[in-house]
Parts: sequence; structure tokens; C-alpha cells
Amino acid sequence: MEYSAEIQHRLSSSSRCGGLQQGGEGVVTTEAEDRSLNVWVRFQVQLQRGSIRSVRFEAYGCPHFVAAADWIAERLEGQGVAALREPRARAAYAALGVPTEKLGKLLVLENALLANAQAADDLVTQ
Amino acid sequence: MVARAVYLDYAATTPVDERVAAAMAECLERDGHFGNPSSTHRFGQAAARRVAAAREQIAQRIGAGTGSITFTSGATESDNLALQSVMLANPGRHLITARTEHKAVLDTAAALARRGVAVTYLECATDGLIDLNELDAAFTDRTALVSIMHVNNETGVVQDIEAVGERCRARGVLLHVDAAQSAGKLALDVARWPVDMVSLTAHKIHGPKGVGALYVRPPLSLAPLLFGGEQERSLRPGTLPTHQIVGMGAAYALADPAREGPVLDSLRQRLWAGLSALAGVRRNGHPTRSAPHVLNIAFPGVNGESLRHAIGEIAVSAGSACNADNPESSHVLNAMGLSPALAESSLRFSVGRYTTPEEIDYVLGRVAAEVGRLRQIAAGAPNWCKS
Repeated sequence: MEYSAEIQHRLSSSSRCGGLQQGGEGVVTTEAEDRSLNVWVRFQVQLQRGSIRSVRFEAYGCPHFVAAADWIAERLEGQGVAALREPRARAAYAALGVPTEKLGKLLVLENALLANAQAADDLVTQ
Repeated sequence: MVARAVYLDYAATTPVDERVAAAMAECLERDGHFGNPSSTHRFGQAAARRVAAAREQIAQRIGAGTGSITFTSGATESDNLALQSVMLANPGRHLITARTEHKAVLDTAAALARRGVAVTYLECATDGLIDLNELDAAFTDRTALVSIMHVNNETGVVQDIEAVGERCRARGVLLHVDAAQSAGKLALDVARWPVDMVSLTAHKIHGPKGVGALYVRPPLSLAPLLFGGEQERSLRPGTLPTHQIVGMGAAYALADPAREGPVLDSLRQRLWAGLSALAGVRRNGHPTRSAPHVLNIAFPGVNGESLRHAIGEIAVSAGSACNADNPESSHVLNAMGLSPALAESSLRFSVGRYTTPEEIDYVLGRVAAEVGRLRQIAAGAPNWCKS
């Protein structure tokens, strides 16, 4: 299988892989997985005054999955909280040249972010 | 560490030995033995003599008579010829094989099943060995053929062919063995082996791709699958590819398991010693009943595709090259009881004639680094990713 230069770059030097301070102020942590697709992801989003200040992720999956998590995390930073609900899979699929048969894996990333958006709402209403 | 290309996929295929290539080149051009070996003129007969010599080289390597060697396009065709010829000539009969066989056998068995042949697939233990008691229980009075590979292409596990053969002999059942991974690594002696047909290939032992052979123990007679000539006693018609056959003969003459086997094993042991130091890694397959060139390792918590990509300058396989594009996990590892995650986290390393200790050390350094990095990326992954 061929991988684009960007996939290779993001897999080898992901800038947002890792974790935020657990329990830190405004940090929301959610996970999603699909065992049939052999993928798992955890997103940690730090919120500040309605905006996404930082995003970090951990991921188990193929190079496309990890690279997409990194790509999405990069684009979420600086966005409003509502951005967590926006579909990202298609954009990542197109931007990174992900094979069509792997699109389902990218939807798992969306699931984690949607859960994060819900958790962020819960955080605000507390 | 400066990246360097390292080939550790000798179980997939091997580079043609320069001595083999030289022998092949003698059969290509105008001043060489280019004639059709079936032609009666001097050009054809010169080529025919080269074919005969190659047949003798192969026969000697496996302890057979030259008349029992039929050239084919490779082990896949040999497997097809063996299974289809026997089972289609015995309508209503029964075939026994194993779930860990190469697709060439499994897919042929499945095709035969669609044509009414009863097929039993033996399970295997977690170490990859078939259970001889299960084989005993599988025989029926309609069993015509058992097909069991000698060396598993994904794990290197070596089945006890002598024990399987003895059971077949006692019941008057034919035994076919796919020995594509065996030649040059393990001694093959069909004079001693209680086997009736053996599939061979050239490209796993530094011969050319596209040529193989089927050993058939006399006086067993098979029906052809192809029609259109009298080559190979009409069992496998078609103009003989002199250069490929000569290459196969030369490769078999050069492949000395007594000399190369220990060298390969030493390299593999060096590799395993280094990999086993990584936390949690496990070896897939029986630790001692194993061909000297194959090492199948599971890296729990590490996505196999990501690891293969991360060590992209190192050629390894996820299971069988024949299945490289198949997103399904290895049927061999699944049959051995590995979870889908663990099977997907497994890589096959296979050493060969040109592997050096320095290459092994380089691979160890790179694998250790990338396994550590990928595990960090997936640090919080749940247990199902690691078991």
C-alpha cells in the first residue's frame, strides 16, 4: 500500500500525540473504538472561554487512522466548541488521500469528537 | 541511525542467485540453448539435454527418480494438479487438509467442495501443529487424499510428515505435501518419506519465479488439468521454459540445507534474541518444530500496518505475501487461536542466503525504536488492542 508524504510525516512526527494534564481545568476526555476495524482513539480537548485551546490524542490503528487523528486535532485548535460537532471524516479522507475502504475508520474519530462535544456541553452546564 | 534497505522477506521470494542467473542466461539468446526442448533438431535437443540435467538436479536434491518430476509453473499449480487430479478421478471421495494450509491448497479444496468433494479441515493447536489424533478420527472409508504442508509459509511450523504419512499408508490413502518452503532449509528425501506427491517451487531458494515441479511417486498416475501437447508425458503440456527449468535445477543444486540451515537458524536466533527483549512480544508457532528461516512475532499494542510502515525500509510481511492486499487477518494465525488484534499486530521476518548479522542488528534497533514510539501513540489503548 502506498502512503502519501503527509501520512508518512504525521505518523513519524505527530505534533499532537500524547495527553493533556488529566483533570486539568477545562479538559474533556473521550474515547471511541471499533474492534471490527481494529481502531481506538482518545481525544483530550482543553476548552477555554468557549474555544478549543488544545487538542491531544492517542490512537491505535493504521497509518491513515493515526494521521487523520493528528490532522483533525491540528484543525480543531483555535476553533469554537461547536467545531467538535462538525463532520471531519470526509475532509480528512480527501486531504490525506485515505483509501475509500478506510473511510469507516475515520468515522470512529468523528464518534470520539461527538462524544467530546457532548461532554463539553455537560461541562458548561455543570 | 541512517536508514538502509534490508530484505527480511525471503519466505515471500528470493533474489535469483547469480550462478542461477548465469545458467538461465545460457538458454536465452541465439548463441545459447534457446531451442524448443520438444523439437527433434539439434537446437531442440540441446535444450532438452539442459532440461534433463535440471530434472536430475532437482531429483537428486529430494531423493527422487528423474521420471517422477513434472515441471509446472510453480507450487500453486503443483498443488492444483495434485488435488484436482486425484479428487476429480475419485468422485464421491473425501479430502483431508488443514486450516493452516496455503491458499493454493485451501482454495483448491474449496473449489473441489463446490463440485461435491467432501473436505475435512483439521484444526491446529496454538503452536500451529495439527493434532494427529484428530487426523486419525477424520479418516473415513471414502478418504482418498490428505494434503498437509511441510513448512508453514507464515509461521515456519514444521508438521510431522512422517507421522502423517504412516497413517495414510496404513489406510491406503494418498498423501500430498506442499514443500514450497522446505527446499534448501530442511532435508527432503522422498525415498524415506511416506508421501505420494510433493509440490516444489524455485523462487523460494534463489531460483526464478514462474517455475515449479510436482513429484509423483511411481506408479501413481495423474490426469492432466491442461490439454494441448505431450510435454511432461502429457501431464503438463505446454512448451517447456528451458531457462526457468535450468534455473530451478541450478537453484536446487546450490541449495544445501545441511550447510545453509544452521546459518539461517543462527541469524534467526539472533533476531529472536533481540526481539524477545521487547516487552510483551510473543513468538507465533512451535518454538522447535520450526524451519530455520521464518520468525513470526506478535507485537501487542502495536498496529501491524503502522509498524510495517514505520520500518518501511525493512521488508517484512504480515503473514503471506499472497494475502498482502487482503484486509482480513491471517487465517493461519486465526486458526492458531490468536485474536484478530494480535494477529494483525504480527509480522513475519524471514532470513535468507544474503542476510548478515549486521542487518539483523540494524533491524533490531529500528523495530525497538518504532515499537516504542507506536506504543506511546497508543499508550492508553484498551486491553483488546494488546491481547
